[in-house]
Amino acid sequence: MSRLIADAAAALAPSCDYTTGCITCGDVAIPLTVLRLDEERGLALCAADDGNSETVEIDLVAPVAPGDRLLVHAGTAIARLTEEASA
Amino acid sequence: MKYVDEFRDPALGEVLAGEILGLVEPGRHYKFMEVCGGHTHSIYKYGIDDLLPANVELVHGPGCPVCVIPMGRVDDGISLAHQPDVIFTCFGDMLRVPGSDGTLLDAKAEGADIRMVYSPLDALRIAKANPDRPVVFFAIGFETTAPSTALTLKRAKAEGVSNFFCMCNHVTIVPPLRALLDSPDLRLDGFIGPGHVSTVVGVRPFEFIPAEYGKPISVAGFEPLDVLHAIHMILTQLKEGRCEVENQYARVVPYDGNPRALQVMSEVFELRPHFEWRGMGFISQSGLKLSEAYADMDAEIQYGVPGIRVADPKACQCGEVLKGVIKPWECKVFGSGCTPERPIGTCMVSSEGACAAYYNYGRFAREREVV
Repeated sequence: MSRLIADAAAALAPSCDYTTGCITCGDVAIPLTVLRLDEERGLALCAADDGNSETVEIDLVAPVAPGDRLLVHAGTAIARLTEEASA
Repeated sequence: MKYVDEFRDPALGEVLAGEILGLVEPGRHYKFMEVCGGHTHSIYKYGIDDLLPANVELVHGPGCPVCVIPMGRVDDGISLAHQPDVIFTCFGDMLRVPGSDGTLLDAKAEGADIRMVYSPLDALRIAKANPDRPVVFFAIGFETTAPSTALTLKRAKAEGVSNFFCMCNHVTIVPPLRALLDSPDLRLDGFIGPGHVSTVVGVRPFEFIPAEYGKPISVAGFEPLDVLHAIHMILTQLKEGRCEVENQYARVVPYDGNPRALQVMSEVFELRPHFEWRGMGFISQSGLKLSEAYADMDAEIQYGVPGIRVADPKACQCGEVLKGVIKPWECKVFGSGCTPERPIGTCMVSSEGACAAYYNYGRFAREREVV
């Protein structure tokens, strides 16, 4: 019975599975754009290209400004994406 | 999508594949290891191995943090999750990793309060929303993820959140690579280096690979053209008789990494004398634990965990897969006893795991080849 419940829970879990990839536990990072800053708390609201937004730790790449592109892994910006670097 | 579409251009991919064909010496077999599970995933998702000459073989490395977690640590996590009032938080893939007596999902079904989070910051939010209950974050990952855990622990301390604890399973990439290079089982011609780990640690820590072992390495991004380009760079080195560390992912990876991330990690973590890896045994100085300054947030200290070592299931050959000694489909239980829906070994659990990647993207091609 518990196995059935576990399977049901797995089926309902958000898209963190073997077909879509797990952005947090793999070595995967996604590019996000800074929308606005909470400088006092060192956080930024960032948006993905699909429109979803999330709060991101910016300590490792500070200072950042709205419009900056960041590479985000597990809710933390680990690198900054720049025009020159991507050229 | 900016910074993504440019690196998925099929026409450029064909040009690179053609140049790669011109770089290989007929009659020579090349064996390259992609260290990172993210690369394994890209290789099978985009069919990169189908674009390579038959004598260029890619083998999978130990760079999937879920795959290398030993069963004993899963059991320890489950025992923490069953502690009274505890809210246990972890990343999604961890939920399905089998311990010796079920998974975290099974423990959830039995009544433990286990919640999936996308970031350590999510776990801290849960702690702040539930101040009367202890919240444990099961931290896992290489140097890419460790700074995120470190920053969250610093934030929790600064904000005076006293009900937030961490069970630290973070690992470091260089010691297992050294263990692999010292292994007599494996002959490699070069490495595709981990891209996002390197945004944190930089390229410098990999200098020992050409210097001490005489193997070229190219740190690579995760888009299909990144991986093809890295293979092109390694083959060019071999053709020209060079052997060095190159940085294919220079648009993101600085040579010296992210000094701030390294500083935060050194404040919050210290090296364990040794840490157990699935299928690879104990490797010296390969795992992180919370430093003394953060001992009050260390769930292992605050709750005590059984810490019992559990042998891997006999049928499971994840160890050989993680060391690149066998291919996933050569495992006795691949696709039969062990599937992504009902994994026996960790490599079949995570999307970055070599077996899951083969199962989802390569199995049918492989079957066609066999028939």
